[in-house]
Amino acid sequence: AAPVSAAVAAAPPEGAMSNGVYVPPGAANGDVKPVVSTTPLVDFLMQLEDYTPTIPDAVTGYYLNRAGFEASDPRIIRLISLAAQKFISDIANDALQHCKMKGTASGSSRNKSKDKKYTLTMEDLTPALAEYGINVKKPHYFT
Amino acid sequence: RSGSKHASTPADNYYLARRRTLQVVVSSLLTEAGFESAEKAAVETLTEMLQSYISEIGRSAKSYCEHTARTQPTLSDIVVTLVEMGFNVETLPAYAKRSQRMVITAPPVTNQPVTPKALTAGQNKPHPPHIPGHFPEFPDPHTYIKTPTYREPVSDYQVLREKAASQRRDVERALTRFMAKTGETQSLFKDDVSTFPLIAARPFTVPYLTALLPSELEMQQMEETDSSEQDDQTDTENLPLHMSTDDSGPEKENTSVLQQNTSLSGSRNGEENVIDNPYLRPVKKPKIRRKK
Repeated sequence: AAPVSAAVAAAPPEGAMSNGVYVPPGAANGDVKPVVSTTPLVDFLMQLEDYTPTIPDAVTGYYLNRAGFEASDPRIIRLISLAAQKFISDIANDALQHCKMKGTASGSSRNKSKDKKYTLTMEDLTPALAEYGINVKKPHYFT
Repeated sequence: RSGSKHASTPADNYYLARRRTLQVVVSSLLTEAGFESAEKAAVETLTEMLQSYISEIGRSAKSYCEHTARTQPTLSDIVVTLVEMGFNVETLPAYAKRSQRMVITAPPVTNQPVTPKALTAGQNKPHPPHIPGHFPEFPDPHTYIKTPTYREPVSDYQVLREKAASQRRDVERALTRFMAKTGETQSLFKDDVSTFPLIAARPFTVPYLTALLPSELEMQQMEETDSSEQDDQTDTENLPLHMSTDDSGPEKENTSVLQQNTSLSGSRNGEENVIDNPYLRPVKKPKIRRKK
């Protein structure tokens, strides 16, 4: 308990980090491994100055404003749009894997690769989304 | 939301344009992944997911920021949000550097319609203090100022009496001229017939006959009183249509006079219901006493 309380007492006030690295005082002893806890993506944010993600800034900003998020820095908006893009493209890649697995599972064509025309269907998307915990159910027919 | 086509407001258009942009983005991402085509339902699903993902990031980042008593979200808030949503932030720089990237143009922004200088009339009303400054201005005053097109009616007694008198004179004149036009006329002047037409008098052959004979009204009145005294209906000329019960004589006369005044034409049909109201009783033609 002693090193813990000493760490709490010695915690620097907010914004008083020297080089952005907070080292707990027990690190010098060797009983607490130092964990570099800089804010990730700080450097990446600098690289976003002249980057245009696929989603326009206006569209992302519109949806963020609807949620109550007013961004002071346009790079923040680009970061969020990039994250959303990656989210969707990860799902798309998973669906592509499913599609490919269905095609070559029976071993139809071994000499040449499966034809390059992949169509995203709900049958491929549903298991891909299920891995993320999203369950979609489509009615087979419309009454 | 996406299917209705009728009467979309500018806010709806705003929303729909951005949603279409998201759909285009999703399609481009799918193309990057290697798909040639996609089901519409799948694209719609992914669009909906993308929109709600962005909204959720915004809401959650704002919540984290407010949780630490700040109002401006920072990078840390977003990182924590992404971590909470199960997103691996370390792969993000690698993703940003991928080769095939597509850029979608943003939806166009329409400016507010501004009336040109030549069409403005009058001074716009300034904003009241409770309206923020970035709201649009008030429209020109001619769009909401209304002036009544009627004048107040004249209620001066003298003017009204004069008007009433002149109206009555005009009516009388018009009526007499109408009768002169449609009937026989006599003229005061020898040559000029049409200027001052007088309604021609019809002299009777026996002028004193009207003074001796009772008028139609008096005859009806007499018959009325006669029939009320008798109970039986022996009159052949005009059937008395009503059996009075226990009225006195003068009262009968008054009622009969009233009846004659109200319905001079007289209803001569035989069947009429008994009405209690004396003013609604049908007219009874008096029986002519011949024997007395």
